[in-house]
Formats: sequence, C-alpha cells, structure tokens
Amino acid sequence: MTSYTTLSDRLSVFSDINFKYLMIAPAIFVLLLVGLFPLVYSLVVSFQNITMTEVDDSFVGLLNYRQLFKDLRLWQALGHTALITAIALPLELLLGFLLAQLFLERLPGRQIFVALLVLPTVLSPIVAGATWRLMFDVRFGPIGQILSVLAGHPVNILWTVNPSYVYPGIIICEVWQWTPFMFLLLLAALSNVDQSQLEAAELDGASYWRVLRQIIIPAIRPVVAIAVLIRGLDLFRIFDIIWALTEGGPGSMTETISLYTYVIGFVQFDTSYTAAVAFLVVAVLSVIVTLALRRTELVR
Amino acid sequence: MRMMAGRARRKTGKLALRYAAATIVTIIFLFPVYWLFMISFKTPDEIFHVPPLWVPGEIQFSNYWVLFKDGDVKVIWNSLVVAGTSSAIAMLLGTFCAYSLARFNTGGENLAMWIISQRMIPPIAVVFPIFLIYVYFGMVDTYAGLILLYTAFNLPYVIWMMRGYIVDIPLELEESALVDGCTRWQTFWRVVFPMARTGLMATAVFTFVFAWNDFLFALILTRTEVITFPVMLTHYFGGQSNFWAKIAAMSVLGTLPIFVAVTLMQRYLVRGISLGAVKG
Amino acid sequence: MAEVRISGLHKYYGPVHALKGIDLTVGDGEFAVFVGPSGCGKSTLLRTIAGLEEEDGGEIRIGGQVVNDMRPRDRNIAMVFQNYALYPFLTVYDNIAFGLRARKVGEAEIKKRVDDAAAMLGITALLERFPRQLSGGQRQRVAIGRAIVRQAQLFLFDEPLSNLDAKLRDEMRGEIKRLHKDISTTMIYVTHDQVEAMTLADRIVLLRDGRIEQQGSPLELFERPTTGFVASFLGSPSINLIPAKLVRRGQAAAVLLASGEALELPEARAAGVDAGGERAVILGIRPQHLGHAVGGPAAPGMARVSATVDLIQPTGTRTYVTSRIGGVPVTAELDAHDVHEQGAVLDYEVDMSRCLLIDPATDKVI
Repeated sequence: MTSYTTLSDRLSVFSDINFKYLMIAPAIFVLLLVGLFPLVYSLVVSFQNITMTEVDDSFVGLLNYRQLFKDLRLWQALGHTALITAIALPLELLLGFLLAQLFLERLPGRQIFVALLVLPTVLSPIVAGATWRLMFDVRFGPIGQILSVLAGHPVNILWTVNPSYVYPGIIICEVWQWTPFMFLLLLAALSNVDQSQLEAAELDGASYWRVLRQIIIPAIRPVVAIAVLIRGLDLFRIFDIIWALTEGGPGSMTETISLYTYVIGFVQFDTSYTAAVAFLVVAVLSVIVTLALRRTELVR
Repeated sequence: MRMMAGRARRKTGKLALRYAAATIVTIIFLFPVYWLFMISFKTPDEIFHVPPLWVPGEIQFSNYWVLFKDGDVKVIWNSLVVAGTSSAIAMLLGTFCAYSLARFNTGGENLAMWIISQRMIPPIAVVFPIFLIYVYFGMVDTYAGLILLYTAFNLPYVIWMMRGYIVDIPLELEESALVDGCTRWQTFWRVVFPMARTGLMATAVFTFVFAWNDFLFALILTRTEVITFPVMLTHYFGGQSNFWAKIAAMSVLGTLPIFVAVTLMQRYLVRGISLGAVKG
Repeated sequence: MAEVRISGLHKYYGPVHALKGIDLTVGDGEFAVFVGPSGCGKSTLLRTIAGLEEEDGGEIRIGGQVVNDMRPRDRNIAMVFQNYALYPFLTVYDNIAFGLRARKVGEAEIKKRVDDAAAMLGITALLERFPRQLSGGQRQRVAIGRAIVRQAQLFLFDEPLSNLDAKLRDEMRGEIKRLHKDISTTMIYVTHDQVEAMTLADRIVLLRDGRIEQQGSPLELFERPTTGFVASFLGSPSINLIPAKLVRRGQAAAVLLASGEALELPEARAAGVDAGGERAVILGIRPQHLGHAVGGPAAPGMARVSATVDLIQPTGTRTYVTSRIGGVPVTAELDAHDVHEQGAVLDYEVDMSRCLLIDPATDKVI
C-alpha cells in the first residue's frame, strides 16, 4: 500500500471507506429530525394532560387514548373518510380505465390530449376546490345553469352547504382532479400488455370480456395495486379539497379525520388529546402501509 | 386496388368516433379550468351576472393588476422561494442518499421501506408536534422553518425516484471511472450526475410541484410574512362574499408555472407520479 | 379445402411499400415456407394472411373463400408465435383449451382434444403447470398444442424456433415435420433460416424486398435458381461467386477467369449459350461441386484449377478449404480425410456441368 503524504489523500481514502454512510447521513438526519422526532414527542405528550386551559405534564397513562374510543365525533370523522374513499377510489379507477381504453389504440395527436388531461391533477387541491366552489355557486356558477337547462326547470342546489349534496359535491371535485392520475397509470399499464398474447386470443376467437378477464386484468394488476395504494392513502389524508369546498361543514358533516385532527389541535388546542389521535393514526397507517408495500412489491 | 373495403371503412368510422369522444372528454375535464380563466378576465359585473356568462366581453387584466397593486403577488414570490429552495436541498441530499442506496444497498430493504413509508405519513399527524416545536424555537412564519419542513417531506420522494433512475445507469460506466483512478466522490459527480440529468430534472419538477401545492403545513406554519399561494387563496373566501376575481386571478398565477413545468417534463410524468413503479 | 390463394397483394406501412404485388397459391395440405432476409416482407405477408395486418390491395382466399373483410377470428386459422404468446396466468391445460372455451365447445370434447394434443406433443405431464415453469422448448410445444386443438384449416408459424438454442431447434424442426405428416393441414411457416426452409418445405417461397424472388420445391430452388440471389440464399456454405467472362470458340464455350484460367463448359451447357462472342458473367459454383483432383486426366465436364490453400475449416464429416480462385475467396467442400496444409498448392476439380452462369447486370441465371 502506498503511503499517503497529503491530507487530501488521507481524506479521500477515508471517504471511500465510509462513503456510503456519509452519503445517506444528511438525508437521514433531516428525516429523523422531522419525521421521527415529532412522533416521539407526540407519544410523550399523549401520555400527559395538556389542554387549552391547563398544562399538566404529569403522566396520566392511557387517559387520552381511552377518550379516543369514546369520542363519537372522531369515529364519525373516520366514517366520513371511509365513505369518501370507498366511493371516489373505485370511480376514479373505473373512469381512468375507460379513458385509458379510449386512448389506447393509435391516435395521432394523443400526446396533446394527454398533456391537457393532466392539468387537473397538477393543480393545487385548494385551487381545485376553489374552482368547483365557484362552479357550484347557485347563482353565478355554470353547474346550476347547465342542470337547469337539462332538467327543464330551475335547479338551485347549494352544493357546499346542503347536507344532501355536500358529499356528491366533494366527490365530484375529487374524482375530477384525480381521474387523470389513474388514467395515466392505466394507459401505461395497458400499453405494456404483450401484444402477441392479444393477437393469439384474437385468433382463438375470444370475446372482449374473456380477454379482459383472463389476460388484461391479470397483466395490469401490479400497477392497479400501486395506484390504489397511493391514491387510497391520499384519500385517507384528504384535507385541502374539503377545506376549500366546505371547511368540514355543514357543522361537522364532511369532517374527515385530517380535518377533525386540525380542529382539536388548532381550534380547541386540546394538545395531549391531539397527540394521542395523531399517534394512533400514524401507528395504524404504518402497519397498513408496511403490509401493503410488501404485497405490492414496491420495494424491489 | 380495393381501398375502402368494408373493414377499412369501419376503421375510419371508429377513429372518427374516438376523436369525438376524446374531444368531448377533454372539454369536460378542462371546462372548470376554462371557467376559472374566464372569471379572471371578467369585470365584476360580468362575474356576478345572472345567468352566468360563459365568455367575457373582452379579455381584461385588471384583476391581475389588483393583485400586483395590493402586493398580494408577494405570495407567489414566497411560494417560489420556499418551494424552490426546499426542492434544491431535497434534490441534493436526496440524490446523495439515493446513490448510496442504489449502489451499496445501504441499510438493505428495511431502510428503503422506512424511507418510502415516510412519504405515506399523513401530514396532519406530524404537523401538530412540529408546530409546538416551531413555536418553541420561534420558527413559525419564517422561510427557514417552512423550507426545512418541505425539504424533509420531499426527501423520501426524491430518494425513491433517484434511486430508480440511478439503478438504470449501467454500472460499467462507474466501474471504468474507478479503474481510471477516480474516487467514489469524483465518480458520483463526473459520471452519475450527468447520466442522471433527465431523471434529476423530472424529479426536481415534481418535487417542486408538491412543495408548491402544499397547503396544510403552510396554513399552520405561516402567519403574515411567509404566506404561500394556496394559503393566500383561502384568505379570499369570506364569510359573506368571496373575492371571486382575486381567487381566479391568483389561481391562474399560481397554476401556470406548474403547468408549464409539468408539460416540459411530460415524458417522465407517469414515472414521476407513480413513484417509479410504472415506467410510462 | 384449405387452399390459400393470394392475388396481387399490396401493403404499405406509411410510405414504405412492404408487399409489392404478391401472387401465390399454397395447395391444400401443403407445407409452404416463406423465407428471405430481414425486411423482405415474409412476416408481413403471414400476418396479412392471418388478418392481423390489413392489406392495401389484392385478394386473399382461404379454402376458396375471400377473407379480406373477415376478422382474424373468423378465418379459422391457428398461429404459433415467435415468443409463444402463452397466457401467463392460465395453466398449460387452460392455455390449450382457451380457444375451444371461447368458442363454447363442451368440456368433455375439450378434454378429449387437449389430452390427444398433449399426447401427440409429449406434454401430458405438464398440463397443470404454468408457462413460467416451462423451458423454451416446452413452451413452444404448448403453443403448438394450442394451435392443434382448434382443428383449423390453416396453420401459421411466425419464426417459432428463433428463440431456441441450436440443438433444440434441430429437435423441434423434426417434430414440426412429423406434425405435418400426422395431421396434414395446410401450413405456412416463416423463417430466416434456410436450413429450416429446405428441410421442412414442400414449397419454398423466397421473398426479397416485398416481392417473390422465386418459389418452388426446395430442390428446384437449390438446383435451378432463377437468380444469383436465390443461389446465394440457399445452401450452406453459400455458393461461390466468381466474376469472369464467357467466351465462345465456335461450338465450344469456356469461362475465362480474371486470373487467366479457362474452364471449359461441357457441350450440353455450351449449347445453351447464345453465340454472342464474349460477355461478362458471374460463375457460380457450390462448394459441393469443387473437389480435389486426383491424378489422371479430367473427367468430361470437369475443369482443373490450381490454387493455394488459405484457410482450412474441419467440421468432422467434411472439411471446408478456402483458396483464392479468379481473384475471390472460393470454398470447396472436401472429404474430412483429405487433409491438406495451409499454404499448400491444391489441384481443384470443378464440376462445370453443375455450375451457374449469372448475368451481372440482371442477376438472372443464364
């Protein structure tokens, strides 16, 4: 081994050896700082009794967690979140699939269509919500106008306030914004299906449904799984769109779990309780995500 | 020559139908955006016209001038600074980390899984303790505070995507550089970085978009100095009346740069939004 | 009746004229092989017959019926693809049964046909496996099985053996030949491999640049090629082509090589050449028609040439010896035991009764 006479020589050897750890160090540091540290802090606070009125940092055990189970509004929030997810996700998947089928075969100028259809997805969800809020306006928005024409009589729906219409309103906006996401992913997946298998099936005389069921769907299943995972998680965390459209109202009718957490944390300043809710949400999600990741083989 | 035989005729008919459907679908999806644009060009009378006007009398920019005059445009600047800086830092640190993961498999599958799961944490769960900490350190409503947060939240995405792009670079290139006498550090800058150029640009664009569009963190961690564009937008929602013109104009201002950037990176769009799982 | 009759078939890919007027008949039960270099249009022609590509002009008849406007599924044809195109999420049994199930054939009948096909191909043990668990040769057999059970009137093969290694290819070639003997359906087979073409075909259709260069039985194309292209394409190692001049001397004619040697043409051949004095030709001699001259005078029809041995390539049964004759490298196929050294001077015996004379301008055989 040659001897190293300069500091820079020594440093380069040192770097080579511990290179891989040095490279990840800054990123991991930041991640821990902002990712792990607050969670731990949360955990600690959740075992204390800090509310808007009193700051009692003694250990109170599972007081906050027990309150969690008795909190009706929390469970309603979870219900609202589940409802939105259960309706929006399949809708986006189906519409995205139909759109992908439309654009699948050779279509000159497809690029332009796709570039335009992407626009809803890259908008800020606040902009999306704001746009639909303006669209839904009962007097000055075009939705009411269009529906009135179609129905033949004036239609006056207060989409953002009327309890019967708030959920449809939210779901319309959400599906509008995120169907292109599904569309893009499914278009790519469908394009990658082995052409010769489809040709063989054509020669075999298989009907469209048979081909769909036995060849196409199994082939795109991995991509669909990932799309559902990503979108499902995003729907669980949904906040911006609802804030822009209804702010959780009327009352707490469209309050999702994220919105409720915001309320107890930043409106009621129920610090310890918020910490408990936050921690539980993270814990449950982590388990689900880890299981899902293993199943979808996202981690190669 | 039998040119327009039955089959050919059927095919052209089918194509025309598809074009029609594609156009209708695109119009439906783009209509809300069109509406937003139109409001931003309308006069107050036109905006509050009953029934709603679909086309403004003329295209006038007074709504935009108002934003400039009132200084509201500063929020665009804030967004730019915060999103831009945090993206740059995230790209730098994230690519370092990605390289380590890609070439050395540092931390194995577990570390990779932990990193990607960080992206899946709901922000609401973290924002509260972070808020408390920020209050303690006086970091609320500061550029630094928001930048730190966005950097941290975009790191998993950057690491994940860049790992994928680096893995696609043939190992032989680096090996021959090493054989030629480069250190790992030099190899990274001279071989990997240039080769990953397009992946870097695409990831940078999407990272920027995520930071730009964020609302929750900005809502909670800004007050008056560092308000970003989405938060400003919600200030225009009044109790009684909404500042429609401002909402529309501000929305357009805040959306146009994003749209341009994403269109430029169109080729990488599918890969970018699917976390690299689909190489559209 | 599954005769395939193609008239005036044209196909364009955008500005590229891929098929330039194909006229072709494949008889009922015949095994036709479309062969030619890359880009000659053989796959395009096959896929157009199948209906997977659309023609831009001309007529295709299968079994007497015009099929131009019929969808592929209605043409009653089966196809074996180069990459097998097996359905990955179905078992071998289900893969083979797929077409029958699609056409609503009863399960009992399906079982009978699948079992028979599996037995014929020796894959009965694999029926419950999935394609990913099979080797290349096994997958190809499953693909063939899927085609057999359909009992179609026409089988199409699109370079089915290209993805297999050499030894497996030889084996499968024999099986396909045996298959044709057993079920005698009309078969059209596409390959770029001339050995496959020669061994399998009842009729070879040699394509070049979107046109049929020549078609006929393998022996016909081999012994009586109409152009230099056909002559070079078939035969391994390929025919030797030597630029030369054809000279007449009264009733006799000889081929004059650039290096000076004159090779007499036998009377029978000389008679067929017109008395034009002198003309440029390309002399085509197959390696099999070059021998080592042993002592004594040349037999009638044989010419003698001496040359230095440049390269020796033994293959076990034969040895290929290359020398420069007439200014170009010429390969002769000699007996394995006829051992020579590099650099040695060899007396070659050329069978002029089997040689080909090619017009350099038109590439046609004179």
